[in-house]
Amino acid sequence: MNNSWLNKNTFHYAEFRDLERLVTEKQKKKITISLCLPTLNEEKTIAKEIVIMKSELMTRYPLLDEIVVVDSGSTDRTRKIAREYGADVYEAANILPQQGHFRGKGENLWKALYVTRGDIIVYLDADIKNIHHRFVYALVAPLLLYDGIKFCKAFYDRPIATGEKKMRQTGGGRVTELVIRPLFSLFFPELTQIIQPLSGEYACFRDVLEKIPFPIGYGIETSMILDIYERWGLDVMAQVDLEKRVHRNQGIKALGKMAFVILNTFARRIEKQGFIKINKSTYSEMIQYNLVKSQYQADIFKIEGVERPPMIEIPEYREKFNIH
Amino acid sequence: MDSHLEKLPSMVDAIRAIKEIIITNIVLIGQIPSPTFKEEKRTRIFMERLAEAQVDECTTDAYGNPIGIVKGTSEANPPIFVVAHLDTFFGEDVDHNFTVKKKTISGPGILDNSAGVGVLASLPEIMRTLGIGFKSDIVLVGDIQSIGKGNLRGIRNLLKTWPTPIRGAVCIEGGELGRLNYYSDGMRRCEITCSIPSTFRWTHKFRPNAILILHEVINQILKMRLPQKPRARVIIGKIAGGVDYGEIAQDAILGFEIQSDTDKMVKAIYRDIKDIKNGISHEHEVELQLRTVSSLNAARLRFNHPLVKSAAEVLKKLELKPVSVSSETELSIFLFHKIPAVTIGITKGENYHLENAVIKIAPIYKGIAQLIGILMAIDSGVCDEQ
Repeated sequence: MNNSWLNKNTFHYAEFRDLERLVTEKQKKKITISLCLPTLNEEKTIAKEIVIMKSELMTRYPLLDEIVVVDSGSTDRTRKIAREYGADVYEAANILPQQGHFRGKGENLWKALYVTRGDIIVYLDADIKNIHHRFVYALVAPLLLYDGIKFCKAFYDRPIATGEKKMRQTGGGRVTELVIRPLFSLFFPELTQIIQPLSGEYACFRDVLEKIPFPIGYGIETSMILDIYERWGLDVMAQVDLEKRVHRNQGIKALGKMAFVILNTFARRIEKQGFIKINKSTYSEMIQYNLVKSQYQADIFKIEGVERPPMIEIPEYREKFNIH
Repeated sequence: MDSHLEKLPSMVDAIRAIKEIIITNIVLIGQIPSPTFKEEKRTRIFMERLAEAQVDECTTDAYGNPIGIVKGTSEANPPIFVVAHLDTFFGEDVDHNFTVKKKTISGPGILDNSAGVGVLASLPEIMRTLGIGFKSDIVLVGDIQSIGKGNLRGIRNLLKTWPTPIRGAVCIEGGELGRLNYYSDGMRRCEITCSIPSTFRWTHKFRPNAILILHEVINQILKMRLPQKPRARVIIGKIAGGVDYGEIAQDAILGFEIQSDTDKMVKAIYRDIKDIKNGISHEHEVELQLRTVSSLNAARLRFNHPLVKSAAEVLKKLELKPVSVSSETELSIFLFHKIPAVTIGITKGENYHLENAVIKIAPIYKGIAQLIGILMAIDSGVCDEQ
């Protein structure tokens, strides 16, 4: 397999430490940049993300033009804290209400396209415990400095913070290694060069994001890669090594549900592209079992396989952004 | 001086306006583990933050203490030092990620001393925001190897090798806002270890118990008659030993600290405890080791020293009640070198040395205004008077 992309389009965040250069490039190209943080009960980490980005990338270096929180209906103080620290906070249900509302990360990212104004949008998970402004500037840098690149994705070591406040240096990326990479190897070997296709941190030009559909749930990262690859090719993508990201550990059953959604998203796309033909309707329920008082009980997780259409097809969006 | 005092309350709001920078520095530096003797990573980040704040010079001294210098307008005036120790009580395996909430920041080491170090790194930015310049160079030092067995080695080495006179110094600690330390007691921190040789295990019917031996040491220390003048005390700080409920303990260790107004009394008490140790060792036929972990000389400014008076006025102007107790911080090393200095706290908090230590954000701005006020006082000459 040709892995020239890996060598050419893989960067390390340290290459982009000169923030003045990035600001100059941004101003020269008259580009605006929005940071979007999708949230659901992130009161422990949201303030830290906003404070650091505001301090370093708005006050010290004017790289970001806005910080927007799109919340899925948190029941903790996420929205209150985010407002306190100066982010623009929206509830996903209140954005484009006439388009209805679904719960899920993909839904938030899709609706963020309507409320943000940047030419580049940086999506960042809001649960990063070791947040640093490199998580933003290093993702934006390839888009500012290399003309052909439109989408940039993060990868990193993923130590897991366990309950005992100790760090475990291995782990993370299990769904990637057990689901995504085998599938990429089967159907799109070129895409295996993407080290962490499921990372929740990426930057992309709006004129790309508005033209692709968004699954409402976990499938968004997979679909985004497949759709950008199909339409614009691999060369518009880049990836950046952010070195380390500390995240919350997820149980194997939660990862199972994630894998189910991703497989569903993947299957739909490879069928659409003619790689396989599925001769019957697939089921939409993930069934797992729990041992309760010596009895196995089914735990059924229903997946709503809804996909939002490309945002550019939404009349309200076209009107707001003056697209004719 | 009075004109400086008048400006202080309005500074609090101006400092609050750059709260993101201050919190960011506290978090980015504090999240890097920095146990004593392993401060290299935090040193690097601290210097990065100073460079980001565009200090005029940024370097480390020969011992590894990171230093930033904000140049003053007069070359004739000696520099003023602001120091905060970089090391923390927690190991590298402890999750140092902080939680920022609306009113608080929490995490291991936040009070001692990440809040202090974060504020130190923010000082150039704060000075720019307030439009303040000083005649003296302001030397910002994040000293290493300060706490516990570090025994303030970082600052000792820095002051031993610093080439020019120093005008005055302010030591900053995360907690507790309102403290105004201007003296340090003489102190000797010691450990007594008791190890029963394994040969005892099988050949003696009544084997000595290491914990009980140290218990006897404690009993005899408690029986010592300590004078009220000069003030003196022995604090039994920690004890550990043994392996299981039904096993006679073969190893035990006792940690204690001798404190007094005078170094002479510290020495006298140390000699007495050494005699106690020798006596018990002889009577029980066991080996006891007495070791000094760290020590400090007694040193102080007078209460009516112009620096102390000015600092107290600064605190009062900011509606803070100055609380004075002995401080075993970098202060004592400055005073030992005859450099006028005080130690102050930056904010309020709880769970001082626990992993869930927490600081309040709102008082930080007043804590910083206090620091600026004292620096202005030093710059105006309060330490120059004999």
